[in-house]
Amino acid sequence: MSSAYRHLALADVRPGMVLSDVLLDRQGQVLLPQGAVLTAPIIALLPRHGIEALPVLRHADSGDSSADNDEAAPNCAMLQQRLAHLFRRNCIRNRDGSSDATDDLADSASATLQRYMADYRLGRERAE
Amino acid sequence: MMPLSLDDIVGRLQDLPSLPAVVMELLSSIDQENVDISVLARKVSHDQALTAKTLRLANSSTYGLQVKVTTIQQAIAFLGFQTSRNLITAAAVTGCFSPGQCAGFDDKAFWRHSIATAACARVLARHVRFNQDYAFTAGLMHDIGRLVLVSIYPQRYADVIAWRTAHDGELIEAERAVLGLDHVTAGIALAERWNFSETMRLGIAWHHEPERAGAGFLATIVHVANAIVHALDIAGEDDDLVPPVSTVAWRALGLDEEAYLHVFRETEVQFDEIVAVLMH
Repeated sequence: MSSAYRHLALADVRPGMVLSDVLLDRQGQVLLPQGAVLTAPIIALLPRHGIEALPVLRHADSGDSSADNDEAAPNCAMLQQRLAHLFRRNCIRNRDGSSDATDDLADSASATLQRYMADYRLGRERAE
Repeated sequence: MMPLSLDDIVGRLQDLPSLPAVVMELLSSIDQENVDISVLARKVSHDQALTAKTLRLANSSTYGLQVKVTTIQQAIAFLGFQTSRNLITAAAVTGCFSPGQCAGFDDKAFWRHSIATAACARVLARHVRFNQDYAFTAGLMHDIGRLVLVSIYPQRYADVIAWRTAHDGELIEAERAVLGLDHVTAGIALAERWNFSETMRLGIAWHHEPERAGAGFLATIVHVANAIVHALDIAGEDDDLVPPVSTVAWRALGLDEEAYLHVFRETEVQFDEIVAVLMH
């Protein structure tokens, strides 16, 4: 996690970005704490509080977002493989990524957590 | 080798390092409201290392203070007594056991996992409107029994780790197979000796079985936080393993995907900060 941040106009802020500083409204009241993850509903609320731009974290390990698309596919496969390894006790995926789970297993809490974690990791890579 | 019994553990607890007396006092006062705060604050202030750690923790952005607190009294004024008490406890416990007693047991990784679970449990608690201070402390302490076993039986615990490597299982299975009891049992014994409240003891006792009747909601929070932290891969161990998540516990929290994505992110951010304070 780098200390670098960038100041973005509200229109350029995307869900998944992280506030690098506490966000105050015009009266100086805290709207959001430092480190808050910006979601679409939160971003939609900000104009009402007079927010036009805000500081978000820039990750040290990310390049320019446009250049990342080519690398996304292998990263995704590696990530899925790692998650499958971590979740090997409740595995829902074969090595090739296909699913051989029964409905019951795919509905389990472990499987849901694995899916959310994959979304989290991949969503973050897309957001950068 | 003979399997261990609870009596073996209890009989050896006195050999363990003890917490500073003032921290014991804080822990036993956890369910009381009419504690003389100024007396306690003064006592804590006499322990400089403990005070310094507590203040750095209070000043981390996790707690969102607008001013820097420089005394324990100030921390209590700004954060409240309960939160301050938890910070003091965290600062004391993480410095209590001496590292490097058992071959193959990675003390740093242990605390990284415990601190991450504490951070995650606290974030989860906020989402479900549960007491965040309880969640943080229970998350920090949930595996403390492991340090008890490592400290009392370093050689035998090295066998536990070897068994786990050979069988690719969870550490708790290895403990039961090699020692005849697990870190949960040892943790409860220590929690009693250290005067943890009933709520906290239940959280430690049932974090592997949160669906048990009477386990309490704290066990549910710690159970899910523990799984999330393994899934976040925070310890960075190659053979890390996410334990099966109790569907009962998962449903009891009732959070949707958006909430979990928040929880994951906030856990990572807070972890970086808290670990920087507590492990240096």
